[in-house]
Amino acid sequence: MSPIILQAIASGLVTGCVYALVSLSLVIVYKSVDLLNFGGGELVMVGGYLALLVVVRFGFGYLMIFPVVIAVGFAIGALFDRIPLNWIRRGHAPGTVIVPMIVATLGLSYLLKGAVRVIPYTEEPRRLEPLWRGEPLFIGDVVLQWQDVGIVAVTAVIMLGLWLFFRFTLLGKALRAISQNPRAAALVGIPVTTLRMAVWGLSSAIAGIAGVLLAPKLLMTPDMGSIVMMGFASAIIGGFTSLPGCVIGGMIIGVVQNLVGILISPQAIAVTPFFIIMIVLVVRPQGLLGEVIAAKKV
Amino acid sequence: MGYESEATTVALSGVIAEADHARTARYADDAGRVLAAAPKSQRQAGHHLRELVKALLLAANPLFAAGNTTKNFNLRQYRLGRWLVAIVALFGSAMPAMAEPGVTDSEIVIGMFAPLSGPLVTYGLDPVQTAQMLYEQVNQKGGIHGRKIRVVVEDDKCQATALVAAVKKLATVDNVFILHGGSCTAAVTAAQEFITREKIPLVMLVAAGDPGVFPPTRYMFGSFGGTQRLYAAALTEFAARQLKSKRLAIIVHDDEYGNASLATAKAVAARYGIEVVAVERVPLNINDLTAPMLNIRAAKPDAILSGAYPAPAVLVAQKYAEYGMTATPLLEMTQGIPTASVFAKNVGNEAALRNFYYSWAQNDVGDEALRQKWTSMYKSRYPDREPGGFMIIGVPSTVAIIAALERAGPNLTRERFVDAMETLEVKHEVMAGPIKFAPGRRDAIRDVNVVKFDGKTQTVMPGIYSWNGMDGN
Amino acid sequence: MFGAPTPRQFIPIAILIVLGLVLPLVLPQYFLYIGNLLMMYAVLALGFDILLGWSGQFAFAHIAFFGVGIYGTALLQIRLGIPFVIGMPIAALGAGLIGFLIGVPATRLRTVYLALATFAFAECAQWVFRTWDSVTNGTDGVRIPAPRIFGFIVEKDASAFPVLALILALVLVSMLFLSTSKFARSLGAIRESEHVAAVSGINVAFVKVLAFTISAVYAGIAGGMYTLFQSFVSPDALDVTLLVLLLSMLVVGGSGSIPGVVIGVVLMGVFPEILRFAPPRLLVWQEFVYGLIIVLAIMFMPRGVWGIVQARAQRKTSLAVKHELMEGNKEAQRYPDGIALLDSRFDAPLRRPASAQSLHDGR
Repeated sequence: MSPIILQAIASGLVTGCVYALVSLSLVIVYKSVDLLNFGGGELVMVGGYLALLVVVRFGFGYLMIFPVVIAVGFAIGALFDRIPLNWIRRGHAPGTVIVPMIVATLGLSYLLKGAVRVIPYTEEPRRLEPLWRGEPLFIGDVVLQWQDVGIVAVTAVIMLGLWLFFRFTLLGKALRAISQNPRAAALVGIPVTTLRMAVWGLSSAIAGIAGVLLAPKLLMTPDMGSIVMMGFASAIIGGFTSLPGCVIGGMIIGVVQNLVGILISPQAIAVTPFFIIMIVLVVRPQGLLGEVIAAKKV
Repeated sequence: MGYESEATTVALSGVIAEADHARTARYADDAGRVLAAAPKSQRQAGHHLRELVKALLLAANPLFAAGNTTKNFNLRQYRLGRWLVAIVALFGSAMPAMAEPGVTDSEIVIGMFAPLSGPLVTYGLDPVQTAQMLYEQVNQKGGIHGRKIRVVVEDDKCQATALVAAVKKLATVDNVFILHGGSCTAAVTAAQEFITREKIPLVMLVAAGDPGVFPPTRYMFGSFGGTQRLYAAALTEFAARQLKSKRLAIIVHDDEYGNASLATAKAVAARYGIEVVAVERVPLNINDLTAPMLNIRAAKPDAILSGAYPAPAVLVAQKYAEYGMTATPLLEMTQGIPTASVFAKNVGNEAALRNFYYSWAQNDVGDEALRQKWTSMYKSRYPDREPGGFMIIGVPSTVAIIAALERAGPNLTRERFVDAMETLEVKHEVMAGPIKFAPGRRDAIRDVNVVKFDGKTQTVMPGIYSWNGMDGN
Repeated sequence: MFGAPTPRQFIPIAILIVLGLVLPLVLPQYFLYIGNLLMMYAVLALGFDILLGWSGQFAFAHIAFFGVGIYGTALLQIRLGIPFVIGMPIAALGAGLIGFLIGVPATRLRTVYLALATFAFAECAQWVFRTWDSVTNGTDGVRIPAPRIFGFIVEKDASAFPVLALILALVLVSMLFLSTSKFARSLGAIRESEHVAAVSGINVAFVKVLAFTISAVYAGIAGGMYTLFQSFVSPDALDVTLLVLLLSMLVVGGSGSIPGVVIGVVLMGVFPEILRFAPPRLLVWQEFVYGLIIVLAIMFMPRGVWGIVQARAQRKTSLAVKHELMEGNKEAQRYPDGIALLDSRFDAPLRRPASAQSLHDGR
């Protein structure tokens, strides 16, 4: 294989890991509360800007970034669930509650984007220094930055951790129970409201971390949130209910985008993820590794 | 607007026929005289309508008419009458009742619009405030031919729909004299048909506005920071003449900016005998430049021309360094570098900027004294805001407008203003070349500096690079 | 309300036509332009509501059909010389055809996947508009010539206004008949529960595809309306922002009912214009305020402004009945338990689970 293709694949895998992180945060919410979080992209963006704030403005070391981002991300997510989402849930019958909640997540995305945009610092694109620095790594003809390696490593760790969590721990099983049937879960004694809040907080924290890892690779602008579509595409390809699936899905999208750019034309790069979404949903809605979707009984 | 006044006159005059003939013959005479007098201007038309209503009211209500003529007519007797006159006054004021809109003996009203919210705020707020600052300076010196400039500002969000709404409000509700604004080409083009039809001059603020000035139309003036064609032509010429390049690679976006710069770059390259070895058109929101940069590397160019916007421009520079291409000069067009220091910080890699050049139509680069002068002028007027790199681009369009207003003389009309703009050739310390228009030309700037930037120092390359107005057109 | 539309419901439409003829004589162009925009958005939003409000299908492809309507009408006129009166119906039917093609696979998808798939389709459509240079002129956009209608050149906002009012009136009439038809009842049943609807004998797939098609036709008509008063179109106009605007109109005004949608269109359409009175420095807060409005509206007014109006009306009726029963009827005093029951029911809070309400709602 020509070195160009190899490089395209390698870079695609790395970008794909970033998409995978975003989609991990989306899938966690979906697995637990059966909801699409259209605000996920903005949570990523907020994480990145927080990191910028901590390092550039307040001059703390890099190690401070993670606790701050995780804490703030968790807080935003949990608050969002506690206040708006709970209110909506109480006012609607279970069948018709999804649409308003999705609309609320759209509102959240504008809230976050608008709040960040007000700060004049965000008018120009900014970049965070990479966490892992050094001379680029060469594998044959293929070039990789240390930051890229870091991204892949963190993604793998988070994915593994989450997978183990959902599969084997009691808490994970409780969350899956909530998603399947909230009433039954409540009857069995699972503290549904608290756990939901925790899930939202966790998901937002992961999104924030994705932002921190992304920030050195991309440029920070308040409009970065559009990356949420890549997250959705990854989740769809891999299967919305499967965590390893979204990582694989993300990598597939990253690689395919680059290959399309080289073999077809860079103009087609923009449309590739959407095209893939459409095709996969029509042909194989459950994605590669997801469970077959059974219609919910009413 | 004669259509509206005639229609209402015709509608109201139907009332006359209903009235008592004998008693109203006298009053119908008044009305008839009013109808017969052709309005010399819209101001008179409004006045005539008011007189007409009075006559009609008298005609329609003989009981109260005894002893009254239109001259000593007392409207206070009529509640209905007052309402009718109010409605008619609304008719009258809805029409541009002034001789020349936006101009009175004491002031000139200029309608400004720019993105004051949304993603492109950096191209909006600073240039508008710079313009207002300059207008205030003129006012402090006594105004132009005794008239002070008053500015009305609207937000256009860089979207076509909002921009057209802002323009129409400024034109038909605020009745401004001229329009000064527009930072986004696609949005500004949407207003072109309206201003051409209504004959309202529009002077762009920051927008390059290529489709708005090519082909040129009478009332739209633009490109005060240079056109896309200019940047592409200047940098290609620089590559040919100074860098002795023979193989050029081009990377642009797939929007109308990119199309224009690509066409011009190809034409100039052909003129200098340069072969274009790679063309990459990339989406606006691209965040992984692996594919295009690899394609370019494979084509082995000896110069790379980039028209990317600020965020992708950084990525281009980064990937170019990552893939070991820094021996090849990288030339970036103006729009990618709002603030050079921020650009360098974002790229974060000194090696990437070893052979980096960009185009800039202003002189504040490399002339620290000039930059300080304008920055401190801005900050003293707006102390709580740190100006971004595009602040300075508010200057040329404002300077041109002020010069044209002076030149148009005390008898100010829109047509005189356009004629004055057309004959303008203004040299200003801020611009690399003169602001110049002509009967067939509506793009202001055709000269730029080329700046070498290594991350710390900016060196202006000798010579001014110009576009001849033809290539790629 | 089901059954034929009552004559009273046509009164606002008549008023609309009268305003359409009178206002251009009085108002400055700016207000007429805003009016034109609102009328176009109204048609667009009403079509969107058929999917979102009437049938509960979270389908986001609407903007693509709008684009087909705009480009179709404009290009038919420019390339083939087909006048507006014929071109717009053709473009609208074309949009309907694409809606049909999208509807067939889309009906198999559940809410969240439907949302993603249709959103992806809309993005693909925008990409096609950007890239198919030979037809759509790509990102350079298309300058739209002034349409001719039976010899009249529709150029200024003042000339377009009555035409748009007429088209909107026709659309409203058709929506009135549609909303009281069996089709709408079937959609309502599907929204509540597809299973129950299927079991009751409704051909769910067919009705859903029909809803997609009809919604797309309305979007195409709105696209034709665009060409009447706008002189330029570029693919940038067809992006996510417009979709979120439409969604906010439905959320704030009240989806599922014609007055609700119209109220939402007026409120959210006029909102940016009202903001013009804000000081320029504060304008950058717009997006934040926008998000706040969406979240607050969906929290406190899930059925929109119209929902609040209706709930008030219902509450008044209920209270009237209660007072009538309790004060006017001595017999009722003999049954304190019954009164207590009435009491609790009529004092119930305004927020009731949506599904319990909707089957009894008027439209």
